[in-house]
Amino acid sequence: MSGNEKIRLLLVDDEVKFLQIMASRLRLKSFQITLAANGQEAIDAAAKKSFDVAVIDLQMPGIDGIQLFKILKENHKDLGVIVLTGNATMGTAIECMKLGAFTFLEKSCDIEVLITAIKDACKLPLEKKSETEGKEKQPQEKSLEQKPPSSLGKIKKWVKWAKTKKSE
Amino acid sequence: MNKIPQTEGLQFFGKVSASISHELKNILSIISETAGFLNDLTELAKQGKELKLSLIENCSQSIVEEIQRGFATIKQMNRFAHSVDSPMKDVDLVEILELMIGLTGFLSYASRVRIEIQSKDIKPVFTSPFLFGHLIYQILCFFYESAGHDGNVSVVLSTPDDTSVRLTFKSSAPLPRDKFPNEKMERLAQVLGLEFEQSPSDTGISLGIPYISDTTRKLLQGF
Repeated sequence: MSGNEKIRLLLVDDEVKFLQIMASRLRLKSFQITLAANGQEAIDAAAKKSFDVAVIDLQMPGIDGIQLFKILKENHKDLGVIVLTGNATMGTAIECMKLGAFTFLEKSCDIEVLITAIKDACKLPLEKKSETEGKEKQPQEKSLEQKPPSSLGKIKKWVKWAKTKKSE
Repeated sequence: MNKIPQTEGLQFFGKVSASISHELKNILSIISETAGFLNDLTELAKQGKELKLSLIENCSQSIVEEIQRGFATIKQMNRFAHSVDSPMKDVDLVEILELMIGLTGFLSYASRVRIEIQSKDIKPVFTSPFLFGHLIYQILCFFYESAGHDGNVSVVLSTPDDTSVRLTFKSSAPLPRDKFPNEKMERLAQVLGLEFEQSPSDTGISLGIPYISDTTRKLLQGF
């Protein structure tokens, strides 16, 4: 048992073949997968069932990835959102991170990178909860190194991503 | 105004190039993930898990299909890149329509399009392939937006007389008449010496294309 079987994953991409092959690969790793081929399908799926993480594409017909992101975050605050796109630009990456994306990945990243991101994104709501509880008990300012791993991890990931883009 | 600002042409070229690169990236992503899936299956087989032949067959079929899709995309990219080779030339309308439908098909909001040829005698028209393609692209994008992703758009080619050919665009949804044609389309049509004709129904628009236009010939000299 890897623990993956408890993770409920919503995969959203208008490229149906990509969606299906990603689902096949992630199912081999025991994740619970629901597929949505557009923004509306994703909203409907999230209304019917709870998800831990949503992996969304940005460029989609109708409701695009950014709009979908805002709708999902508004209605499902604890949902971890990972952006997986073929259209990775610095601008869209910054926009997604500002909106609260857990991470921003480019197609076709290594499946292990995606799996690690999914697992980390699942831990985020628990960390936030313990962070809130900690603040209530001991309200004091923290240095960058002392900040919760979720925030620091996000910054490190962002810097790593930016370095990769620079080297390209 | 009888000239198209250079930036507009570059913007069009850039938009098409970006949509092609996005399409190619999608194709490569599918191939890459399918290869990854085959690798995952191989690893599981090494651990003694049963390997389903049907899965292998599906993967190999998918890779072949995506490679074919990639070749088709590259062919379209090549044809589009060569549309700037000659400022004016005889253009096959069916060919350029197919190309523009293919290129706009990469846009996420593209609707389904079909071409209907009502006349057997459609001769090539003497025009600027790049500007004409740009105009068709703009019209298709406009129609996609009005028809919606699940709507239908049809392009009908007919010959009302011996001197011209008519290109009619029809949408499954009513068109916002006040927005069509927009400034960009009007400028392109003007430079190409073409005129939009209002269709009696509110779901279509026609473009009359003279086989030999004096305006386009004059344009050739000043291009």
